[in-house]
Amino acid sequence: MQLLIASNILLWLLLIAVAFTVMALVRQIGVLHSRIAPAGALMVDKGVTVNDPAPQVTAADRHGRPVNIGYRAERSQLLFFLAPGCPVCKSLLPAVKSIAKDNSGELDVIYVSDGDFTEQQALIEANGLQQATYVVGPEIGMTYQIGKLPYAVLIDQAGTLRAKGLVNSREHLDSLFETVHLGSATLQHYLHGEHKHDHDHHHDHAHPHSAQH
Amino acid sequence: MLDPVLVIAASTALAALLASAASHKLRDWRAFKGIVRAYQVLPDALVPAATTSLALAELGLALALLLPAWHGLAALGVVLLMALYASAIGLNLWRGRRDIDCGCSGPGAAQPLRPVLLLRNLVIALLAGLAAVPMAERAMGALDIFVVIAAAAVALLIHVAVDGLLANQPRLAKLTGR
Repeated sequence: MQLLIASNILLWLLLIAVAFTVMALVRQIGVLHSRIAPAGALMVDKGVTVNDPAPQVTAADRHGRPVNIGYRAERSQLLFFLAPGCPVCKSLLPAVKSIAKDNSGELDVIYVSDGDFTEQQALIEANGLQQATYVVGPEIGMTYQIGKLPYAVLIDQAGTLRAKGLVNSREHLDSLFETVHLGSATLQHYLHGEHKHDHDHHHDHAHPHSAQH
Repeated sequence: MLDPVLVIAASTALAALLASAASHKLRDWRAFKGIVRAYQVLPDALVPAATTSLALAELGLALALLLPAWHGLAALGVVLLMALYASAIGLNLWRGRRDIDCGCSGPGAAQPLRPVLLLRNLVIALLAGLAAVPMAERAMGALDIFVVIAAAAVALLIHVAVDGLLANQPRLAKLTGR
């Protein structure tokens, strides 16, 4: 009888362990599913050329303080273009915030939006962006010719535009930083074998895939 | 008449399940309100009140399940609640609105409506039915209490795992192109 009781308790404990393991496995599969996405930010090839000086523009943030973009500065800048009516933009905000936090020493994240001010306010409150630099206005988006959202632009300390692209996932955002490390304009360029040392600005930027010729 | 271990384990598991569901709903009240509205079974004016009362009903049923005097009644309440959820899902399936978020497993686990979710509600309702059965009188020892806690824990872990599998299923279907 003692043996049966001990065996029963042991079986329950092991069953709990197995159920826990199964649950953990399912969660990990869920995380994998949410991370599997078409990799590489799609560069919509218009506007400013990568590795050229970024256009200099000054805009007022939502408190009316001036924000300088594209100037030589001590810190790099990540411009994140979003809109309150864009669900993908909202789903990316945690990733943008974590990038801002991880790189708070060398990177300024600037949120750029446009449109109705009360909707902006609701988005700021819902996502805890009260402390962030948040610009509401069309100037920056027009200067950088942003047509699709969510869009991100990375500008280094020297005021050079280092990477840009349409970003639909955390991987797309990360790919912008990765392309800077690889010294290539976009991940597509890198994958097609074009590196910084042979990067010239004369080829036709309207066709990223023609860069191989 | 069932052995008390079965009945108490079923009510404990249900209570924990409902408490976690209620906490999801209360913590992300705004998102849940959006989900209730998307079901389109209530006029817009009633949506905020319905959202709050669903969350509070779940919390109340969870507490009542743990009280010996109330747990039979509370278990019947859970059966009714599951029938209510199932009819809301069934109505929208019948309308052909499959792409709204089920709201079944809390934030971060959005999944479209599918008939299999009705089966999920049926299983929870059956568990509630088990908890509603009157139990035989007998003294409870330490081993009984251990079995109750262990069985409730296993039931909950399996519930979370099955929920996860259900939420992954549409994503997997998307990946395999079916």
